[in-house]
Amino acid sequence: MTRLLVLLRQRIRRDRLQLALWILGTALLAYASISAVFSTYGEEQDRREILGVAIATRTILVFRGTPNGIDDGAFAFFLLFAWLALMGGLMSTFLAVRHTRKEEEEGRAEAIAATPAGRILPTTATVIHGVLANVALGLFIALALIANGLDATGSMVWGAAITVSGIAFVAFGLFTAQLFRTSRGANSLSVTFVLAAYLLRGIGDAAGTPSDDLLHVTPAWPSWLSPIGYGQFTGAYVQNDLTPLLIPLAFAAALIGLVFALQAVRDQGASLLAGRAGRATAGPVLSSSFGLAWRLNTPILLSWTAGGIATGLLATSLSSVVDQAATDAPQILDTLRRAIGSEASIEEAFVAVFYSIVGILAACCAVQVGIRARQEEAHGTAELVLGTRVPRLRWLLEYWIVGVIVIVIVLAASALAGIAGAGTAADPESLIPNVLEAAAAQLPACLVFLGLTLLVFAFVPRATIAVGWTVVGVAAILGVWGPILQAPEWLVDLSPFAHSPVPAGGETDWTGGFWMLAIGLAAGAVAVWSMRRRELASGG
Amino acid sequence: MTTVISTRGLQKHFGRTIALDGLDFSVEAGEIHGFLGPNGAGKSTTIRILLGLARATGGEATLFGRDPWTDAADLHRRVAYVPGDVALWPNFSGGEAIDLLTRLRGGMTDKTAYRERKERLLEVFQLDPKKKGRAYSKGNRQKVALVAAFATPAELYVLDEPTSGLDPLMEQVFNREIDRVARDGATVLLSSHILSEVEELCERVTIIRAGEVVESGTLAELRHLTRTEIAFVHDPAKEAAVAALPGTHDLVIDEGRVRFTVDSDRVADFLPDLGRLGVQGLTVAPPSLEDLFLRHYGDELAPVEEEARA
Repeated sequence: MTRLLVLLRQRIRRDRLQLALWILGTALLAYASISAVFSTYGEEQDRREILGVAIATRTILVFRGTPNGIDDGAFAFFLLFAWLALMGGLMSTFLAVRHTRKEEEEGRAEAIAATPAGRILPTTATVIHGVLANVALGLFIALALIANGLDATGSMVWGAAITVSGIAFVAFGLFTAQLFRTSRGANSLSVTFVLAAYLLRGIGDAAGTPSDDLLHVTPAWPSWLSPIGYGQFTGAYVQNDLTPLLIPLAFAAALIGLVFALQAVRDQGASLLAGRAGRATAGPVLSSSFGLAWRLNTPILLSWTAGGIATGLLATSLSSVVDQAATDAPQILDTLRRAIGSEASIEEAFVAVFYSIVGILAACCAVQVGIRARQEEAHGTAELVLGTRVPRLRWLLEYWIVGVIVIVIVLAASALAGIAGAGTAADPESLIPNVLEAAAAQLPACLVFLGLTLLVFAFVPRATIAVGWTVVGVAAILGVWGPILQAPEWLVDLSPFAHSPVPAGGETDWTGGFWMLAIGLAAGAVAVWSMRRRELASGG
Repeated sequence: MTTVISTRGLQKHFGRTIALDGLDFSVEAGEIHGFLGPNGAGKSTTIRILLGLARATGGEATLFGRDPWTDAADLHRRVAYVPGDVALWPNFSGGEAIDLLTRLRGGMTDKTAYRERKERLLEVFQLDPKKKGRAYSKGNRQKVALVAAFATPAELYVLDEPTSGLDPLMEQVFNREIDRVARDGATVLLSSHILSEVEELCERVTIIRAGEVVESGTLAELRHLTRTEIAFVHDPAKEAAVAALPGTHDLVIDEGRVRFTVDSDRVADFLPDLGRLGVQGLTVAPPSLEDLFLRHYGDELAPVEEEARA
């Protein structure tokens, strides 16, 4: 027992800053967003209207939740729950992998396993640590809701739903840690799972059956596959039903049982999916430093491209559903026109929203290329390369070029997917130029993030990873979810994503795009040029 | 003779820490030069400056008469480098890493010759090239870097503690490879903190400590600095005769053995005397770098010992 406490205390101590930021940050976000929602949608009529639009367009439901009436609590739950659960999910899987596979990969777990603590106890400690973190997250979110004047019972149900879905994600993170040899493999599968859970419940909401008054939706079956979906089934503030949470809890318990069973039979450091033997000689790609930079970034590119393709497909294929809904109920069409603006057609607004998500995916991909350069440097492999006849300046320039290429590929793949998905639309030909413009409009913002990450790499190398992810994450929240979450305009304007041109009504204002193109190229150029004076900063 | 490496007053500061404090040394063409010093003396920092991976804060460093910082890439055509702590790409096999580094060094011009050299080196170093980088032990990662370094001829080999992860058998293989490249006329800079290793290979050594050169010269020149330990089984009947031997230092009788040290360049003078005494179980231990530092530069250690005794 004392050993377990020692391990648990070590985990809490190691994560105290990181988890405090996640938990308090998410709770603060909940508090601020709800205040904003109430000030914007204070009137019953506004809420009726926005719910009507959301239910009519369906796709909006993917990024919000299950409509459950216009009462304060239920309306806030509809707008924010899935988003907060997504944050909690990412927190949970990263936590689980960080304390298990990452430790094994780095060899630290072996030192612990050689003490009387053994191989199994650290995993037990991680389970408890993950549960505690999610209880804290649920509690702080509930407090933030109550502080906004929402009903206490409903707020506690909301918090409980966040906690339970988080625990399911902890269990899944632990499971991926058993599967893969590397923490990278485990993290990418768990992040995919969290995003899939978010999207599945989104599809469930979008494909659900609306009530006659257009204020409620009964989600379709995909929601039953998602821990976040079960959280929504609690119907906080209205039904206040905790029984749906038993299913994700049972899922978590079964998965954790499986994790312990696997850990009991496998060797320390081994994994269920064995690492394959490599080739004895290098292929043709690995014949230059550019080829190396490319090879190191292909796994990154593949995963973000897959995301881009999925989003592009959704953008246009769902727009036909919207069209159908609008034709069936002409009064909805009027509501939509008022809400989106008479200039943009429904399809155009749809494509614009979805391709702004594609822009985030491509920007993340570019940021990760910059981070890869830093990882090469910190790991020591950049030293091997720069010890040959590769000049420093060219080395970083090649990473920049790879960054530009991956942005273009993610955007192009999503555009092609959008065109393929347009086949079901009423007027596919008119949608195609719209899709192409919307995809191209994301390029400048992505170049800004690539340039910024490389600038940080050049001048504050040790902060590259933290700053790179934070900047793109905050910018995404502000630029894309900021308007939904009612953030102030000046704050939204700080985000490059907010300046991406929006093709609508045949007219596109490209000014913001040109500015960002200039800023992005300049940042990249300064970063690369600074390599003339920068020495290798290994370690840390 | 041309000078391959030369530093004058080389300085390197990391914030307030002074890693190199006016380092002067030079290596001539065709020389196997030992670069000795305890951990943290500044060996790796010097090597990184010589390779243009770090920039000198002050002073001057030249490689083949040129500035390693501005001409790094061009100079690296002539250099093979093995870092002190070899890191490999976790996803690439050792064979892939070797081929990649060779191509980056431009060593693929004659593919057949390269393949033969690589096969031979993999054979003698007993390295499995199909393992992924993350699966290699420290010693095997070092072997990957060594095979990559030796697979393409270079004018200068810069090896930072290359044998620290190798077993004694592999050290012999390594020594043979060094002999081979030296016969071909290459220059070698070999850093180490083990004196005996350097003694076996190097003609000249530079010893640094706290970022400064404390000794530089041929091994014969440095021999006077060191003392060799002689020990044999204690025989009370011969105690007086042993005590009368001239030129002995630090004589002790401990656990049934007699131990004393003599100046390393006078070891041969003692052998006839020891033969006359008919000593049993004779051992002659060469001095270690640690001995050398304790004896000649132990100024900082001495007060600590005094305190311990008090």
